[in-house]
Amino acid sequence: MNSHDVTITGYVLILLAAVGLQLAATRARSPVPPLGAVLSRIMRTRTGRVGMLVAWAWLGLHFFAK
Amino acid sequence: MVLVLLLIAFFSAISGKPLDGLLMLLVAGGLAWDAQVRSRHPVPGPADREPPGQPAREAGPVSRRGIRLLLAAAAVVAGGGYAVIVGSFSRFSWPATVAVASLGTLIVLVGWQEPRRPGPDYGPLPVRGTAAWGAVLVAGGAWELWSLFQQPALEITSYAHPTVSALTDPVLASQPGRALVLGAWLLLGWYLVRR
Repeated sequence: MNSHDVTITGYVLILLAAVGLQLAATRARSPVPPLGAVLSRIMRTRTGRVGMLVAWAWLGLHFFAK
Repeated sequence: MVLVLLLIAFFSAISGKPLDGLLMLLVAGGLAWDAQVRSRHPVPGPADREPPGQPAREAGPVSRRGIRLLLAAAAVVAGGGYAVIVGSFSRFSWPATVAVASLGTLIVLVGWQEPRRPGPDYGPLPVRGTAAWGAVLVAGGAWELWSLFQQPALEITSYAHPTVSALTDPVLASQPGRALVLGAWLLLGWYLVRR
């Protein structure tokens, strides 16, 4: 397993952890909230709302803008 | 939050993305200024600002549903058109930069206002489950940062330690790929604006 494979494996594991948490959140009386609930909670304040939206804007700029 | 934005601004600027860094810097400055103004002049909550009595006139259920459907259809057409047109521009070109920066700035400015309708209230979130989400997000950011610093230079990608940007390069090399990713970006923005 070379460095490339290790790096990719890291990304895949993090993605699987996120999918696992979201699936766990669908169970009744789960101690894990769905990602949507976490985002809603963050976005209840102006700082959180602007922070989330600027993170979204940054993604677009990062991939497409100069 | 301001500190995080300043850090992102710094790393974006030294990675050869000055526009990203400038946006982060402006928003960080705006949030800091806003927090200072609010601490001096507290703003009443939305409930305090609503005028008493006089309930809003309600449209009939059919017309309201029809208007919603029409607006949703217009948004889908506009979003699809945006994704196809902007996706036809080369990456990192001025037309793509202007299109993405304009929309991003507009949405951030919209987010700066108080939402007209409060988002869904899930009540207090379980601490451990929320911390688990935080851990996953921090791990993702840390892994990306680690890969970035393993590159020969911040602006030179590495096969051995690819960043997410490097992994998406093959997809974004084609017009359909760019249109698809732009469509997903718009959907994510729409989802966030409605929270």
